[in-house]
Amino acid sequence: MKVSEAMIRDVSTIFEDETIEDFIVFCLRQNKSGLPVVDEEFRVVGFLSESDVIKSALPSYFSLLQSASFIPDTHQFVIRLGKIKDDRVSQHMVKPPVLIKPDDTVIYAADLLIKNGLKIMPVVDDEGKLMGIVNRIYLIHAATQGKIDR
Amino acid sequence: MNVLTVTLNPALDREIVVENFKINEFHRVKNPSYSVMDPGGKGINVSVILSGLGVRNVAMGFLGGNIGKVVEERMRLISDLITTGFVHVEEETRENIAIVDPLGDTITEINSSGPLVKPDDLRMFLRRFEVALSRVRHVVISGSIPRGVENDICRTLCKKVTDTGKLAFAEGTGPAFEMAVEAGVITVARPDLRSRKLIFGESLVDLNDYVRAAKKIIEKGAKLAILSYAIEGDVIATQDGVWLFKTRAHIDRSHLLGTGDAFMAGVVHSMIENEKDCFLAAKRGMSAAVAEAEYISKELISTKDIDEHIDSFDVRELE
Repeated sequence: MKVSEAMIRDVSTIFEDETIEDFIVFCLRQNKSGLPVVDEEFRVVGFLSESDVIKSALPSYFSLLQSASFIPDTHQFVIRLGKIKDDRVSQHMVKPPVLIKPDDTVIYAADLLIKNGLKIMPVVDDEGKLMGIVNRIYLIHAATQGKIDR
Repeated sequence: MNVLTVTLNPALDREIVVENFKINEFHRVKNPSYSVMDPGGKGINVSVILSGLGVRNVAMGFLGGNIGKVVEERMRLISDLITTGFVHVEEETRENIAIVDPLGDTITEINSSGPLVKPDDLRMFLRRFEVALSRVRHVVISGSIPRGVENDICRTLCKKVTDTGKLAFAEGTGPAFEMAVEAGVITVARPDLRSRKLIFGESLVDLNDYVRAAKKIIEKGAKLAILSYAIEGDVIATQDGVWLFKTRAHIDRSHLLGTGDAFMAGVVHSMIENEKDCFLAAKRGMSAAVAEAEYISKELISTKDIDEHIDSFDVRELE
């Protein structure tokens, strides 16, 4: 089975110079956890997820800790979030993004999602322009239907 | 991607078939298939019909809330030739309710007004529209204008399309549509005359009024003008003349749902193949509309349906 058969043909996206606040509003309204980031040519230049925003709003030493209970003051998180809300998306996105093409196999897409710990992955054409996305639940559904090995 | 459709005020279309429908009375829907929900709004309808004709397209506009999510999800379920790219707004997308009575030969339609579009939503849409425009050649801008959006939006969008040498197909009503016609930025113009037979401040009563209005649209710069005339006819104008298309068979009012959008989809489909021949495009549009009218609900017609209905109407040259 190819990615083209399992992808969601939706090109909801955020531009690299739009703000973190724009991203939060977009995700809230569309019930999404992340969005592909594109340039003016519609090429996917990054990916921003809610996890990336949380990471940016946490103290830098947080990644060394095993538990959020070590953070002395959660209020710090809220203050830092307020500070980054007007930042450009490009300052906090993951780049280069992990991408897949419509002719790739679904099993390869699943492999990339698992190895990179992703929930969503942009699907692009040969010029790197956004065509849609694949997400975990669609691939899980394809697997349960026995379609993933075809 | 060949086509971009814009629906600024989409809807969830709820179509209920009730035999002998009467106001102020209790009715029960006899068959579950007589109560259906479809993604709606004129641009979205064109997207869906084009997908049935094998044309890959991207649908844009504004959606909101849970109803908006249903509209988006259902569009993608209909065909993988449709890509969605809507900007989501704070308020809920509207519902359009149509009560179809095949025995009484009536359609009763109730359309709600839709969500407020704020300046930030519009700014985000316009940026995405311009990027999407670079990837297509044909753009359909169709339907009503949502609250919060100025009347010049149709003109603004069509101008962006035609300024880049691409084709703008527009259907609408009132000042927003007329402003775009006056500016000469529409390639194919189809006034929506369902709610009132009025354009450029003049009522359309007899055939001469329709001919005059169609010619005015062409004088302003459109290549093709299409005006629905009575139930079974359309007045067509190009730079070469004016014609009346009239179906040979009677069409019930209850079968009219979606025929206008099928007409536009047929025109777009034809002009993808042959951009210069506006008269042929109008004929294939009419053929698509007649094919659609064979169904009581909105159904996906095929190119074979269009081919088979190409002689199902008379063409009379008026000027």
